Order: sequence, then structure tokens, then C-alpha cells
Amino acid sequence: MILKRVLYIVSILATLVGLYGIFLRFTAGHQGAAYGSYVVWGLWVAMYLFYVGIAAGAVILASLDYVFHLPLFKGTGRLSLALALITLAAGLLHIWLDLGHLERIWKVYLQPNPYSVMAQIVFGYTVLGIIVLVSFYLTFRRPEGALLRWLVIISIPLALFLSGGVGALLGVQAARLFWHVGLFPAQFPVFSLASGIAVMLLVLGFFWDRRDPRLPQMLLVLGIASVILQVIKLYFVWADYSQSLYGGVPQNVEAVEEVLFGPYWWAFWFGQILIGGLLPIAVLSQPRLARHPLWAGWMGAAILLGFAIARANIVFPALTVPELKALVTAFSDPRLEYRYFPSLMEWAVSIGITGAAGLAFLLGLRWLPLIQAEEAKA
Amino acid sequence: MAEPDIILRLQDDLKRALQKPVQERRWVMVIDLRKCVGCSACTIACIAENKLPPGVVYRPVLDEEFGTYPNVTRRFIPRPCMQCDRPLCTPVCPVGATYKGPEGVVEINYEQCIGCRYCITACPYAARTFDFGDYYTRGTAEMAGVVVGQTQASVYERAANFEYGNPWPRRGDASPIGNVRKCHFCLHRVHAGMLPSCVTTCIGRATYFGDANDPDSLVSDLIALPGVIRLKEDLGTNPRVYYIF
Repeated sequence: MILKRVLYIVSILATLVGLYGIFLRFTAGHQGAAYGSYVVWGLWVAMYLFYVGIAAGAVILASLDYVFHLPLFKGTGRLSLALALITLAAGLLHIWLDLGHLERIWKVYLQPNPYSVMAQIVFGYTVLGIIVLVSFYLTFRRPEGALLRWLVIISIPLALFLSGGVGALLGVQAARLFWHVGLFPAQFPVFSLASGIAVMLLVLGFFWDRRDPRLPQMLLVLGIASVILQVIKLYFVWADYSQSLYGGVPQNVEAVEEVLFGPYWWAFWFGQILIGGLLPIAVLSQPRLARHPLWAGWMGAAILLGFAIARANIVFPALTVPELKALVTAFSDPRLEYRYFPSLMEWAVSIGITGAAGLAFLLGLRWLPLIQAEEAKA
Repeated sequence: MAEPDIILRLQDDLKRALQKPVQERRWVMVIDLRKCVGCSACTIACIAENKLPPGVVYRPVLDEEFGTYPNVTRRFIPRPCMQCDRPLCTPVCPVGATYKGPEGVVEINYEQCIGCRYCITACPYAARTFDFGDYYTRGTAEMAGVVVGQTQASVYERAANFEYGNPWPRRGDASPIGNVRKCHFCLHRVHAGMLPSCVTTCIGRATYFGDANDPDSLVSDLIALPGVIRLKEDLGTNPRVYYIF
């Protein structure tokens, strides 16, 4: 299939780019990064949020098959778990490479500060990863067994809680008014579910067996769910930003205006809202298009692009607002500036990890029976 | 007859405080903004004392301008770490690498810090910076001889600083490279009976340091003055750096 060949080539090239980026990361450390001490988190943290969000959503979707035994989604559970594993690994790899001393990651497990939300979610995602790995194994050995069902049951609240925890990671920061809203732990699970559904739309649309008579209905149901969640997502964005602008607190207003009218306004309006939100709503709310694999697949990709930009628009703006206004000019140094654009090394690593995730998925499709489609009945 | 240098009184206060058990000391800093001229000597003294690399600064001086011409005024505000009594940075650290020490200074264990920089996002004063492993001498010319040139000049850069009483030579990607760093009230100097570097360097004698638990100390008198404020008090951080306006 031409699409698969193209994806193989793109994934391999992207992975090679990533290997160069990782070479730079391990030889030059953080010196090749564009983030500094003021805008202290960059592309890799945004990508971590993006990928673990997809993983949490994909895990929840596996329950349609292994917990609720919905005939329409029978056979999709293994695919969901595979996607969860791949995206979880991509997310954790991003955040591991972001550490100043990545060789000390073991300290989080053996010497944690239990009050730290970061320590809690590292533990939580590790547990979730182990549950998903074991569940994935069981889908081959005992797909009808009770253990698999219970593991997936446990993973649902865990995935929801961890998604909320990622929101709380930012939300507990009283120093950053843009983050310090009660909305964050609430909206992140919604984003995760929406991301998980989007990746399923993409994969089902492009890779599921077209002979499966259920496919159009599967896509329609996921499409309707996507429309609902996109409307909720847009409502959250509107509620958050309009409330902040109305309240008029300078630190908050500055961050919101950075998103809406700053140098990367086009990423928000065109990427996050138009392509990532309004376009999928317009397309997927039409049953004729929602049932079509290619339309569904592309809209899944559009939603994911929107969420990737959304994660960046959550992380960066809060950090580009000075905690004390005069800090902007207090000390002159490239690492002490309130602006940021990812460096070549950062892009290379993220492109590479994405490419490797894609390659892992394609190889999984080739060597493992991830697609468990049903044949059309005579 | 000229008054004795206020530093002498601060040194006496310090000597007295060092005779007390560690947990009975309460180090605070008072900065008199009426005297600060914005020379940034304290910034440079701190960089020299702690051998800070590019991108790391513990005590920048904020320069604020008010009003419109011709009614313009300027104010200079040195901003060290506030050593908050309720620090927002310590609870977020995933490995407990940063903590409030017994004397009230918020310290960082360089060997424990994993460099996630979560604490930097937590600080409302931007008091923490990250050591990216940069060098001032990187990219400079190499020259023959034993005095000038990148190799020779970098010997000083790579020599150890003595933060927290331990030697920290700069090599490879060993700590404090890859760690978060911040002002610690020059604890290594204080424990050796010396005032923090910014205090002794200030040309306007605008910065004071001492034990607020000592009713005879200068800082105890100063923090009781009516015109004293602390930055962002509404966050409940309870800073230990006071400003006289």
C-alpha cells in the first residue's frame, strides 16, 4: 500500500534525524537547547504532555473491547493498548531527555518526595505502563480472561487520575496565574480522551481492514464523540481565556494575549482552533463524511495537530511572562530572556521520537496481529 | 567624628549569632532601597564569589522607572532569593533536593537534584536559574603561552566554587552543571564568620544581613521599621528579605 510505504520512508528519515538530535543531546548536554532559566520548559515538555495524553485516552478506549464488550469495537482493544504503549514511551522519552541529570531518574523511584505532584505522576505513569504492557501481552495469551478485564478496569480511573495529575502539575503553581486555575485538572482528562479518540480515528481510518463491515459505524461513533469533545475543548478555551481577560490581572492577561496576539498567534488561530477544532467539527458532524475512512483518518490527524499546538500554548505562554516586570532588563544573557523558539536539537529529537513511534507502530502492524477486523458475513 | 562602618556592627552581630545553636539562628536580609544606586556591584560580587557561569545569576538588580518626563524617577531593587518561610519551590521537587535548612536558608543538594526545573517554574520571584554547562571562555581564541588563550583562561572557570561548604569543580557534566542554582545567603562564608559577598561589596551600604532572632542585631531593628515591605507577600510565601522604601 502506497501510504504505508510513504509512512515507512518518512518514519525512518524522521528517526535518523532524531538520532542526530540525541547525539547532540548526549554530547552537548543542554547547551544546544533554546530554553533558558526564565522560559525553562520547552518543546520536550509540551510533547511529553501531548503523548501521555494520547496514551491515557487510548488506554480508556481499550475498555470498549475488554470491559464493556461492545460488539462494534470488538477487536480494537489490542490496537488501543499498542498505541497506548507506543505513545507512553514517546512521552516518557521526551521528559527523560529533558532532565538535567537523566542518569539520576532512579532517584524519583527510590528517593521520592511524595508531596511532589511530579513524583506522583512519574510513579503513576510507570504503574500504568506496566499494567498496559501486561494487558497487551494478555491480549495474545488470554484475551477472554478475567485478569485482562480487571487490568483494563483498573487502568480507567488510573488514566483519568493521571491525566488530571498532569493538569495539577501545572495547576498547583501559584506563581503562574495562567496555570493556577481549577480548570486544569478537569480539562486535561477531557483532552486525553479526545486525543485517544483522535488517534483511533487516524489509525482506524488509514489502517483498519476496509472489508470489516463495522468500520463505517465505528468511525461514525468515534467521530460523534470527537465532535462533542472538540466542542467541550473549545468551550474550555473560551471560558479560561475570557475569564482571564475579564479579570484583568496583568500577569494572566499578558499570557493570554501572548497566545491570542503574540508572535505565534497563527499557531493558535489556524492550528489549534481552525484545523484542530472547527474543521473536524464541521467534517465529522456530517455522517456521510464521518463514516469515510480517509475523511475520518485525516480529521484524527487534524485533531492531534491541534492538541500538540494546544499543549505548547499551555506550557510556553505562562513562562514568557516575567514574574517581576523589571527582570526583562535586569541582566543580559541569552539564557535569561522571556522568549523562546525550539532549537534545532529540540526539533530533531522530537521529530525523531515521533518518527520512531511511527516506525514502531508500522512494524507492529507488520509483525503482530494488531488489526483484528471482522470479515463480512456472506 | 565619623560613624564606624555599619559592616563592623553586622560582623559583630554575625559573631554573636554563630555562637548560638544552628536552629536558633534566623538569617534575614534587609535592603535599603533609599541607598541603593543600582551599580550592580552586588550582582558581580555574587558571580565572582560563587563562580557563576553564563546564564546563572543569583542577585540581579531590577531597574524600574516611574512617571513620564519631566516627572520621572527610578528605583533599584536587588533581588536575591527570598529564602521564604513558606517556599513554593521545596514541595514540588520530585526528589526532595531542595529544602529549608535549619537556619532558614532554602538550600539545594546538588548531588540529589535531577534537573527537572520544576522548582524554577514554582518560584514567584524568578530566584532560581539553571546551569546549562556554558562557559564564558567557550568559542574564544586559543593562543600560545601559559597565560592567555582559551585553555589557560578556562582554568579559572573550571576551578571549584565552595557553595554549601563543598568544592564544586566545573568539569564534564558533573554537578552543579545540570542543576538548579540559587542564592543561599553565602552560607559557606557565613559559617566561616564572613558576611555574604553582596553585603560587604555594596558601595552604598544598602544591604544588611543578620539574625532576626537576636533582639540586639541591626536587622531586628530594621525589620521593625514602618516603611518595610516584602515582595509578593499576598502569596503567603513569608520572605526573609525585607525592603526599606
